[in-house]
Amino acid sequence: MSATILLPGEELPSDSLPKTKKGTLTLGPGLRHIPPTSITATTSGSISVDNKKSAVWLENTNGRYQPSTGDLVIAQVHHGSTDTYHCALTPQTPFALLGQLAFEGASKKSRPHLLSGDLVYARVSRAVKGEDVELEGFNSATGKSEGMGQLKGGMVFEVSPAFARRLMMGSKGGVKILEGVGEKIRFEVAVGRNGRVWVDSGNVRTTAAIGRLLTSSDENAWDVEEQEKALKKALKDMS
Amino acid sequence: MPREAEPSNNAKAFLLQALRENVRLDGRAFDEFRQIDLSFGDEYGVATARLGKTKVMVRVSSEVVKASADRKFDGVFTISTELSPIASPAFEVGRQDQAEVLLSRILEKTIRRSGALDTESLCIIAGQKCFHVRADVHVLDHDGSLVDASCLALVAALMHYRRPDFEVRGEEVQIFDPREREPIKLSMQHQPFCVTFGYYEDGSVMLLDSTLLEEQCREGEVMISMNRFGEICQIAKYSGEPVDAMSVLNCMNVALEKVKVFDKLVKAKLEEDEKRRDVGGLMAELSAENAR
Amino acid sequence: MPLDTSTYILAHLRLDGRRWNELRRLQAQMSTQAAADGSSYFEMGNTKIICTVAGPQEQKSGGGGRSQQDKAKIEVEVNFAGFSGMDRKKRARSDKRTSEMQHTIASAFESTLLTHLFPHSTITLNLHILSQDGSLLAACLNAATLALVDAGIPMTDYISATTVATTASYADKEEEADPLLDLNGLEEQELPFLTIASSGGEDRVCSLVLETKVHMARLEPMISVGLDGCSQIRGILDGVIRAHGRKVLEGKVG
Repeated sequence: MSATILLPGEELPSDSLPKTKKGTLTLGPGLRHIPPTSITATTSGSISVDNKKSAVWLENTNGRYQPSTGDLVIAQVHHGSTDTYHCALTPQTPFALLGQLAFEGASKKSRPHLLSGDLVYARVSRAVKGEDVELEGFNSATGKSEGMGQLKGGMVFEVSPAFARRLMMGSKGGVKILEGVGEKIRFEVAVGRNGRVWVDSGNVRTTAAIGRLLTSSDENAWDVEEQEKALKKALKDMS
Repeated sequence: MPREAEPSNNAKAFLLQALRENVRLDGRAFDEFRQIDLSFGDEYGVATARLGKTKVMVRVSSEVVKASADRKFDGVFTISTELSPIASPAFEVGRQDQAEVLLSRILEKTIRRSGALDTESLCIIAGQKCFHVRADVHVLDHDGSLVDASCLALVAALMHYRRPDFEVRGEEVQIFDPREREPIKLSMQHQPFCVTFGYYEDGSVMLLDSTLLEEQCREGEVMISMNRFGEICQIAKYSGEPVDAMSVLNCMNVALEKVKVFDKLVKAKLEEDEKRRDVGGLMAELSAENAR
Repeated sequence: MPLDTSTYILAHLRLDGRRWNELRRLQAQMSTQAAADGSSYFEMGNTKIICTVAGPQEQKSGGGGRSQQDKAKIEVEVNFAGFSGMDRKKRARSDKRTSEMQHTIASAFESTLLTHLFPHSTITLNLHILSQDGSLLAACLNAATLALVDAGIPMTDYISATTVATTASYADKEEEADPLLDLNGLEEQELPFLTIASSGGEDRVCSLVLETKVHMARLEPMISVGLDGCSQIRGILDGVIRAHGRKVLEGKVG
């Protein structure tokens, strides 16, 4: 991956535009079109291009998490009111609202009772600037949970939002840890875009070890080789 | 509206379960410190200490002031602490937080009240002029064990600092610029360090160097400051569940060992720094102790 | 002002004529203030304190902290009367020593009071120091225990506190080093001392504050003498509370 880095105000070089003939060009986060022909960066980051979708955007590792619609997040219930739970996504963002009935199969009579401090895997259903962010604990189109809902047991680890995104990208993100551990050990995992990873393997020692692998891989910016080396060592210690 | 990140119920339960199984989340032993890193700035008296992710910077400076009337033979030494939002979303600007009061009180008791810095040596002319040494403690990142890290950085900065040399001719005082005469080290009587113990499970599990999460889940803490000779400068057990007297006494022995480690580390780092500055071996010639 | 401690070695009697493990005269009353939910008056030698408790009452809103809603919050305010010390000195409101003392008292009671029974509420302790003569923090803790019992707030145990000093601060004077119990103001200025509070059974240390330099070898005798003193004080507090309870049952006080 040869990444070109742009700083705010710099122009996007024309050779890094998506190489497609048809379709309109889609500009992602961090880029702005200044008519007639120039595209400039508004933040710093490396250029990412998707040729299929004819899209170009800037990828950066800094900054806090800002909710946007469709993100899967791990929210922590702070307090409940009559029909919503007020949830914290990060210590910096205002509380997000999660409807008490926004769960799979929830009705007025049977609904999950969450206490302050409980964790929920949820999707951001509405994120408009200047308004409260809304979450849902199920897919409201199908009514199925699709893996969302309350997270019981396990441990939640803090990583950077960029690392969480890489984890969700699977093999393209360049993080091999979850797959690597999964070959040897059975565990559950939920990755939230707000920089939280929930892991439960039923065993304290292995859960802590997986968490350590993830956080140190994030902090030290390990490449695939270093990850595999650490992974091998950790697996040896676990067994 | 930033606020303190409270641990989730899952994290609390997991941490306690792990401690019951003798596991710490970062894989350390119960009495093991995180990676300690100490570095000095280009100027004298700037020290930065890191304990894992916790990072504290201390800057020592001095100026000549009028001596106070009731302490004629002493210089002035003040410690100021600042917890700003840069360290953690829990800290606000301007508001004096409980944590800040405690941090400054513990540092005050550990270093000022125990007489670590010989304030009499800061006197220039009794009752008229003296040095005012000021230490500013800046917490840059907060991930637990704030007091331990601050204390380490503060002691290291004081030992690193040099005050300007002076000469008294009758009533006249001449303060020499560092370019004219090599500045002089402060005279320290001893080097106290602080060790904080967090306890869980009715005092049966004692943790050293807790991370922020471990601090938020603990039942109580004991803060002990002592020097390498085993002289205790301060003990503070403010809060938390009652704990057996015997386990408090056991803490003393553990603390003494850790303090000796700190002491060696600071001295080794200072020596390293001195070597770095001593380009060409000219320092010995410049020393103010030489005959003129 | 150096204190002449040389006579101690001759007679093993302290300045005020006490032996090493003797407490000062201790006097206490409960329900002294009719307007408060709970109150007490406490004397330890010449240290005199009035404590009043307000609460549990509804939490003042607008504090911003929604965090501790499942428990009652304990607030402590310590007031020094202008005439309480040797010289009339006004203390600043933001004095760090006072603020540390308030924190110590509040957090000591957080572990013994059953605060989870009163969500969304505050318990306010007001301590008025009428006269200071050593062992201030210890006296405050004892006075607060009595006032909280008077207010009828459930707790797991009394907190009883005292101070201990040692006559030698260095290990080489081994045989001369005696721990001294319950210090007065003069001794406190001269000797290294600690404040110890106990609750929840023998040998359980609830708070421990030491502010002066002392060798670690001296600590063990100091703590054991201190715990012994705490249990003596506990007995006295218990006596006061039982006597007061009897009076209430007989209908002699409101």
